[in-house]
Amino acid sequence: MKILYSWLSDFIENPPAPADLAAKLARVGLKVEEIKKTGASFSGVCVGQIMRIDKHPNADKLALVDVHDGAVTMRVVCGAKNIAVGQKIPFARVGARLSEGELKKAKIRGVESEGMICSAAELGLEGYDNSGILVLPDTTAVGVDAVTLFPKADYTLEVEMLPNQGYALSHYALARELCLFYGLKLKEAKVFEGSAAGCLVPVNIEVPDLCTRYTAIAMTGLRGARTPEWMAERLRAMGSNPKGNILIDGSNYVMYELGQPTHCFDISRLEGPEIKVRRALPGEHFTTLDNKDLKLDAGMMVIADAKRSVALAGVMGGLETAVSDYTDAIIIESARFNPPTVRLASKTTGIKSESSYRFERGTDPELTVKAARRLAALILEAAPGAKAEQLTDNYPVKYQPPVLAISPERVNAILGTGIVDGEIFACLKAFQPDLKDVKPWKFTVPTYRQDIESVWDVAEEVARYVGYDVIPSASHMPMLPSAVTPLWTVTAEMKNTLAALGFSEAYNYDFVSAREMQACGLEAAGAVEVRNPLSSDYQYLRPTLLPGLLKTLRYNLNRGRDSVLIFETGVACARKDAGKAEETHCSGLMFGDFPEGGFWKGGQARADFYHLKGMMTRLFAGRSGFRFESPKKAPAYFQPGLCLEMKLGGGSAGYAGRLAPAVAAAFDFKDNNIFYFEVPLACLAVAGKTEFWQKVAKIKPVSAFPQNWRDLSIVLEEKHGWAEMERSFSGVQDLASARLIDVYKGKNIPAGFRSITIRFTFTSMTGTLNDADVGARMAAVLEKLIKNFSAKLRS
Amino acid sequence: MNAATWKEKLSAIRDSFSVSIAKKPAGNPEALELHYLGRKGELALLLRDLKDIPLEERKELGALGNTAKQEMEAKLSELKGAAAGAAGPAVKADLDLTLPGWPFPKGSLHPLTHVMNRLAEGFLKLGFTMADGQLIEDDYHNFEALNFPPFHPARDMQDTFYVDAKDQLGKPMLLRTHTSPVQIRSMKKQDPPLRVFHTGRVFRSEAVDASHSFAFHQIEGLYVDKGVSMADLKWTADAFMKDLFGSAVKTRFNPSYFPFVEPGAEVDMSCIFCKGGVNAAERCPVCKGTGWLELMGAGMVHPNVLKGCKYDPEKWSGFAFGGGIERFAMLLYGISDMRMLYENDLRVLKQVQ
Repeated sequence: MKILYSWLSDFIENPPAPADLAAKLARVGLKVEEIKKTGASFSGVCVGQIMRIDKHPNADKLALVDVHDGAVTMRVVCGAKNIAVGQKIPFARVGARLSEGELKKAKIRGVESEGMICSAAELGLEGYDNSGILVLPDTTAVGVDAVTLFPKADYTLEVEMLPNQGYALSHYALARELCLFYGLKLKEAKVFEGSAAGCLVPVNIEVPDLCTRYTAIAMTGLRGARTPEWMAERLRAMGSNPKGNILIDGSNYVMYELGQPTHCFDISRLEGPEIKVRRALPGEHFTTLDNKDLKLDAGMMVIADAKRSVALAGVMGGLETAVSDYTDAIIIESARFNPPTVRLASKTTGIKSESSYRFERGTDPELTVKAARRLAALILEAAPGAKAEQLTDNYPVKYQPPVLAISPERVNAILGTGIVDGEIFACLKAFQPDLKDVKPWKFTVPTYRQDIESVWDVAEEVARYVGYDVIPSASHMPMLPSAVTPLWTVTAEMKNTLAALGFSEAYNYDFVSAREMQACGLEAAGAVEVRNPLSSDYQYLRPTLLPGLLKTLRYNLNRGRDSVLIFETGVACARKDAGKAEETHCSGLMFGDFPEGGFWKGGQARADFYHLKGMMTRLFAGRSGFRFESPKKAPAYFQPGLCLEMKLGGGSAGYAGRLAPAVAAAFDFKDNNIFYFEVPLACLAVAGKTEFWQKVAKIKPVSAFPQNWRDLSIVLEEKHGWAEMERSFSGVQDLASARLIDVYKGKNIPAGFRSITIRFTFTSMTGTLNDADVGARMAAVLEKLIKNFSAKLRS
Repeated sequence: MNAATWKEKLSAIRDSFSVSIAKKPAGNPEALELHYLGRKGELALLLRDLKDIPLEERKELGALGNTAKQEMEAKLSELKGAAAGAAGPAVKADLDLTLPGWPFPKGSLHPLTHVMNRLAEGFLKLGFTMADGQLIEDDYHNFEALNFPPFHPARDMQDTFYVDAKDQLGKPMLLRTHTSPVQIRSMKKQDPPLRVFHTGRVFRSEAVDASHSFAFHQIEGLYVDKGVSMADLKWTADAFMKDLFGSAVKTRFNPSYFPFVEPGAEVDMSCIFCKGGVNAAERCPVCKGTGWLELMGAGMVHPNVLKGCKYDPEKWSGFAFGGGIERFAMLLYGISDMRMLYENDLRVLKQVQ
């Protein structure tokens, strides 16, 4: 909210300087984001005219200028490029006070200058072109004090307003806060104090629960009344565009000044004339001041005359009853509307106004009369012939502010402070001067502070009063053991392992487009859709982390990388009929040279399926029951036949494989050797299984005796997988390991067969194995291979 | 041989050893070793002569002899070390040791992960237990139970994304706008006292720029017990900040507003860049010359929130505090544009250790 320093100062006796005032506001939670100086504060500058321009004898870039100030002609040195004979310019005489201080007599490159032609910056003016001197309009009279040409010096303060600060949305209200918290004296605005007994327009509130008070003043004799320049100037400084009509500008002025929105209806345009406050009729139409046709509903409150709605209550007035320059008689509305009703109407119609902003935040029910009288006073000042004819205050049920029983002990208990009773009482008394010092204090909440409901709210006011710094930093918290969640533990383990394996972690947004889903072979119907996406690029919640990772791959390939190992953990969302829609995935991909950049001795390769499989083996190392299986149904983005499912016990632990060529193509990758894995972490984050003591496995003893090894080459049908073979060796006595060392197909091997070479290592816990022992064990191995796989020894 | 002669002989051996070993260039250490300490070396022979000396003197002389032997051994091994290096004689270099080593792959964790881990550690040290949350929330947990009544302007503080699913009341489900729904879920699940924290992703329907993002991360803690006060909150927030930014930082509270706390406060930390210099001139642009950085929101749990979770506010009180993780990360890593955290440029990510 914008605040004018001079306007705020109208309500404080001996107001603090702007910077001090801003600090004081900030200390009580009204943060001033910016202080800006406006208007003119220079002196000793008059309007001069350039009579003659000569070259400076000693400097190419300077000129000697004769300036006539209405009385005499003086010679000055000037460096600006935009000077011309005949121009009217601000001319500072020696002794003038400018933004940089007092102007002194000076010799510039050997020539004495009797004054200065000023730029806007030199005059301290904001918002003007500063590239040269400030050229004034031709119509300006020479010799006039230049300061009179500009608005008076002032400051605007931009105050950040929080949603609970409805009590501070005006100049007067901020002045009230300052006076209350800093013991300053509050001044009141001049209001119309007369009375008027007439009744030009009867006012009837049909919905007293939604409109708790309606104050109205009818005035006549207003035709042609104009807005005074001082008011227009303030409105301009507020960023509001004054219309010149006092009925419109005055109403805005009162709102900025007191925080109460008001509205003027042209009586001649009211049917009846009468005013009714009622709910809108279903399907009722209404045309706003800015000529928008609205269809209303019964959830909205309107001001109506005998025939139709004339205002959407608290939001905006109507076009048909708006005041104009020909208006002679008005009725001023100053009412208290129910905040949620105004907010709902504003939301439904999409109209946000300064008025609805204030009503939504709750206006003071005791402010309506004062605001109406203030507006009347301003109108009377601008239109001396005008007259107040009617003063109505329709207030069916007087607002009863809550009375809270406040004990100093409770306030101190909330704040953790030892503030003495007297100081807490002083704070409450600042709010309520007639408060009696009998404990517990019966604190009547001011009518403008409808946000104060309980002792917690009062504690905050006390903290604002004494300053938040008074709250000590002291802990009375007992020790408590702490723990992380299983998901956190597992996520951290996966992240650390992947980073150690060379993967870099990416963070992508959670949203994907329909096109990206389609490119991954996924149905949009299976995804959770955002109803109000920022754009169609962000329309769905990602059902897999793949699109983001592919974008990351693309981003990095475009920046000259030829090898990318990335992973991400995040939530994947799927629409499911039952059960949880959110799953945390750990997904990653590898592409390009491995290791990245190669090695000068060789030994690098393009990342392939076996790199990926090896990574997965490492990722799941030590997790019991882990194995790969051929998937029954892998996600659509994997290439069939080049994908394995990871299994833990009976459950799935995700998939790893090459992306389907169609997916790579849809994301514009020419090389589809993109190897991707996806692990749903829930399979690992089993409650109770992620704790350290659960995870540690007993260490198996190792043999103290030497080990022996034998290689065995066999030929068998290709259909037999290595995992199958490995499993068959279980139970072979003293077998320490069986390692695959060669796979061969081709010459001398029949089609459909392959040769496999395995290195078997034996060691016994009880003694050294001799040749005969090892031979016997190898015979057992061979027998299993022959029996299970019809393997033949390779000759 | 009597004792005195023996001592003289020992002395002569030591002197001659000292002279030999100090020679420049140094002699062959192996030859010296053989000459003095070898099986038929001078010292060995002398020690063998001890057998002729009476027992009572033999002890003393034996000790002297051993000391001399140890000294000589030490000197010799020094000489050997100097000649050959600790690992033995040098081989003629047939490897170019300047060539790069094998490029073991180096991965990285995202800066936000590092910061989140560190912040979580901070909470754990203070006895806060981690709680789980969910991204898709209902209006009740995200707003209403946190004292954002329907049609309250506080709802404007957080622009919300809605998804095409409805809750039990028929209200549209939404993407959580803050991590605070976890406060409600935790209190509904557990009786007081409780001390929990949560960190994770949140969403706001805002245009992306250098300091805004429609998806970002928060962390927050909640403590409810008997007699919890704002002083406890201040101590905890201060301890948390010091743990992260060092013991020299100062924290301060300013009045602020979050619907689910009362009194509410904003937690500022003294600027870690200009150290909040006393004069305005010493301060920096990061803190906009104020000397303070706004880092967290905090306050006492609002009685309406406690009541909604069936905690009696006359009996129990609590505090909550938290902040945005991106903000911490940007300060710590010196990032001025938040978008950098979501670009996933490996040239950036791989810098993070």
